[in-house]
Amino acid sequence: MRENGYAPIEDYAVIGDGRTAALVARDGSIDWLCLPDFDSPSVFGAILDARLGGSFSLAPADRFESARRYLDGTNVLETTFRTGEGVLRLTDAMTLVPPGRLAPLRELVRKAECLEGEIELQWTVGPRFDYGRRHGRDDRRAGRVIFSDRAQALALGMWGTDPAPHGSVRLAAGEEVLFSLAWADGQPLVLGGRDDTEQRLEHTITFWRGWSEDKTYDGPWRDAVIRSALAIRLLVYAPSGAITAAATTSLPETIGGVRNWDYRFAWLRDSSFALDALLGLECPEEAHAFFWWLMHASRLTHPHLQVLYDVKGGNRASEHELTHLSGYRGSVPVRVGNGAVTQLQLDVYGSVLNSTWLHASRHSDIAGESGRAVAKIADYIAAHWREPDCGIWEVRSGPRHFTHSKAMCWVALDSAIKLAREGLIPDRTERWTTEAEAIRAFVDERCWDVGRRSYVRAVDADDLDAALLTLPLVGYGDSSDGRLRGTVDAIRRELADGPLVRRYVGEDGVEGQDGAFLACSFWLADALARTGRKDEAVELMDQLVGLANDVGLYAEEIDPASRQFLGNFPQALVHIALINAARSIVAEERA
Amino acid sequence: MMLLGALAGGFVGTLVLTTALRLAQVAGLTRMDIPLLLGTMFTEDRRRASVIGYALHFLNGQLFALGYAAIFYAVGQAGWLFGAALGLVHAAFAGGALVNVLLPAVHPRMGTRWTDASQTPLLEPPGFMLWNYGRHTALVTVVGHVAYGALVGGFAAGL
Repeated sequence: MRENGYAPIEDYAVIGDGRTAALVARDGSIDWLCLPDFDSPSVFGAILDARLGGSFSLAPADRFESARRYLDGTNVLETTFRTGEGVLRLTDAMTLVPPGRLAPLRELVRKAECLEGEIELQWTVGPRFDYGRRHGRDDRRAGRVIFSDRAQALALGMWGTDPAPHGSVRLAAGEEVLFSLAWADGQPLVLGGRDDTEQRLEHTITFWRGWSEDKTYDGPWRDAVIRSALAIRLLVYAPSGAITAAATTSLPETIGGVRNWDYRFAWLRDSSFALDALLGLECPEEAHAFFWWLMHASRLTHPHLQVLYDVKGGNRASEHELTHLSGYRGSVPVRVGNGAVTQLQLDVYGSVLNSTWLHASRHSDIAGESGRAVAKIADYIAAHWREPDCGIWEVRSGPRHFTHSKAMCWVALDSAIKLAREGLIPDRTERWTTEAEAIRAFVDERCWDVGRRSYVRAVDADDLDAALLTLPLVGYGDSSDGRLRGTVDAIRRELADGPLVRRYVGEDGVEGQDGAFLACSFWLADALARTGRKDEAVELMDQLVGLANDVGLYAEEIDPASRQFLGNFPQALVHIALINAARSIVAEERA
Repeated sequence: MMLLGALAGGFVGTLVLTTALRLAQVAGLTRMDIPLLLGTMFTEDRRRASVIGYALHFLNGQLFALGYAAIFYAVGQAGWLFGAALGLVHAAFAGGALVNVLLPAVHPRMGTRWTDASQTPLLEPPGFMLWNYGRHTALVTVVGHVAYGALVGGFAAGL
């Protein structure tokens, strides 16, 4: 049910083509689509401003109930509407192009079929270019409605009724209307006919089915794992291999709050978890592409690493506010770009070097130049780990000595030592080993709370940090070590509310408080499995899988009280954490 | 020598015209993409189409330079101003007839005014003065062709 024009975040499903993604609401409205890429300005942005943003609504005119699913093994969405008079099936996809065929640069296809009785179908296609700032113009030619703004154009093709930006048509059982919204920028529009569009839709379904059938996971929660893999694949920016953290910007962490961030970038922090998930699910091409994006992007700032890069590998992400947008349910500001880009976050070094180790242990090879670059990164961390940083959660309250960051510095040096011992990078293990031991001693002495039997959030802090759940996941210490087990127990005791886990409860320099961070919940399940509590991990995992929306997707956070989704959607890190937790539990069972 | 000069000017002029159009595309002024339009006459593959299209575009630049040279010989004079005037006529011809009417007539993947429901052309037709590719396309086309003509005329007079 919409409230002031806004659907709940959990009411959305995502479709995409590996370059951009659209959010489709349960009521058939597409309220988010950026063109041509994830980080481009929106043409449909009603999710951030119901009045100005623009949308593509398509639904029965009468009152209806709807049910949704993805076609098996695909990212093609099917919504079934039931009214008092009939049943309508709506199929939504962003099409993929058969090799060698001339096709639109981007295409959104919507196919509405009346299955039973009669349905009055109504639609409104209202693109608003540049985040709703530009209306553009619309013309009719070549049997299409052409929406254009400067060198950018969208062609609305319709078959089954006359093309129009808005209208309605009465469909009887067996009748259908096919919509194609094709995009071009700086080139002529590629139009094509109904058969071309139908073929691309079929090709898209076939591609996704073939891709998901290749996945080898055969443990419990298989549907959730495969859906997560499909969601991640959708967030991989195909031209570069980068994994976009989420498809949206500024969906709020608190309704009406200011914690609204742009996640349409690739975070280095996610890299080792992502590579682990991709390699574990037999996605070697995606893993390889992501690793090379990682090496390519980090070269721009080498040996210093930024927290995030844009999906094409660029290092600019300056943050600014879109003051003309009213925000999701009044949650302002709406931000594009991400100010965290300038922060020092030491944990990213651990993620990148651990990724390199994961990649190398599969491929037994790192190109010479990359090997030297990796060794320099290890040197950098050996020299800089004593500095305070902003930590994994990108606090804006000033740098501190975060425990997680220090532990990840240890992971960085440990990975470098392993790589050097395999002869894959230049050998400076003596220095790296000395510094790794110093980090270990620092963490054990300065970041350990004897009374709680737990590591704490930062040096001399008295609060906890759910990021510490990842320590057993990335190989910090021994999983059977009482310290890791004690930390997992303490976090569960103090930060968890049922299956939901907050990141921390201390200050972070931003007003307001966020919800429960879903990746932390899956990390908890993973950590429980790795610290010998498999049955508890299974129980938690069952609960978490039940928290997904009706099509198996997760946002960044969830409100512990209302169970409403919060934050950007769908979030890659949550789905990556789900896959890794499921794999860890299976590994424990088989061990 | 005037012929050689015109051909050299045609090459440089095509470089300038192509670059100007590309810059205009990037600046969001037009969706006109001559190499793509030419290349897709032969293949649906965008990559191959671009390569073929660029080759054809430069060949066309030489053919038009020959035509310019013929006019220079016929009237007994050449120069950048005269070349620019010819470029203006060239632009009007390109926008009014060549790309607007003749290209769709021979292009197997482009719609025309007489395309009916039995056909499924893939490419958007350019329209009069190429306005379908953006309202600034005509201006960009004129500027590019005037520059081309001036370079052909200037090179022809200088050699």
